[in-house]
Amino acid sequence: MAKFILRKAEPKDVSDILRLIKELAKFEEMEEQVVLTEKELLEDGFGDHPFYHCVVAEVPKDNQSIEGYTVVGFAMYYFTYDPWIGKLLYLEDFYVMKEFRGYGMGSEILKMLSETAVKTRCSGMHFIVAEWNTTSIEFYKRRGASDLSHEEGWRLYEIDKCNLLKMSSK
Amino acid sequence: MDFTIRAATLEDCKDISRMILELAEFEKVSDHVKITQRDLEQDGFSKNPFFHGIIAEVPEHLKSREGHTKVGYSLYFYMYSSWKGRAVYMEDLYVMPEFRGKGIGKALMAKVSQLGLAAGCTQLNFTVLDWNKSSLDFYLKQGCWDVTSELGYHCMRCEGEALQHLAQGEL
Repeated sequence: MAKFILRKAEPKDVSDILRLIKELAKFEEMEEQVVLTEKELLEDGFGDHPFYHCVVAEVPKDNQSIEGYTVVGFAMYYFTYDPWIGKLLYLEDFYVMKEFRGYGMGSEILKMLSETAVKTRCSGMHFIVAEWNTTSIEFYKRRGASDLSHEEGWRLYEIDKCNLLKMSSK
Repeated sequence: MDFTIRAATLEDCKDISRMILELAEFEKVSDHVKITQRDLEQDGFSKNPFFHGIIAEVPEHLKSREGHTKVGYSLYFYMYSSWKGRAVYMEDLYVMPEFRGKGIGKALMAKVSQLGLAAGCTQLNFTVLDWNKSSLDFYLKQGCWDVTSELGYHCMRCEGEALQHLAQGEL
């Protein structure tokens, strides 16, 4: 095996992207949190001002997954800004289907993203990992990632739509 | 107190840069700041900005001890949640110490929320340092919750040599 290509996602990929988002969310035991639709993914990723960028890993038809999929991995990312060091690449989702792991797809995807980060003069790549996800943490630490929550005490906070509405009307 | 909240312009970059340094000093890491006024001008005010800014300004007769009328700011940008879609990330929120307690911070955050909602966002995300008790209290009062604490998500970073090695496919 091991034959695969990495390419920029196209509008036709939104169905596979959503499928893979849900698979990853299921692994994180958060599947019911995914409310995003294919329509939103299409508008938000392939319009005039995309909110995200996506790369997909594709295998040839004769290597398709058990259920018949050829798009078997993806990474969703966008650019953020740190007023201290400038542009950053933020990795929102990164996933390879279980049956296609161990062939170097994950490493190749990360390599491609890092090249993008370096080419666009980003100072770094940021992402979040669940602290119980030790396999992924090991994977990232082996590649030189540092845990900012642990080392510098940063905690990620969120305000949901309901509270946003309350705050914006004050 | 009399103040206005408005979108930042190119001319505000000098004051934004000043206040970024003030905030970094408060967070005890001012030597980490590499971004200059010129970088802010290029990155925030060109055709495809990497961030947006809002400024809190007071009238001339209420200016700070050093004579500044721009007394608070917020930097934000749009991001994407693979679960919920469009979201807004508030990167910095700062009000000069002598102007605190007058609702300016709340007004800045309200503006970011309004802009986020108008752009179709369903959440506002940001990070806070775990020792920053007064900020933590302020945010919890606005209805925020601690994702790191409740879901165990840690913020990770890959930079410098590690990023270069990754780009070259080295482990």
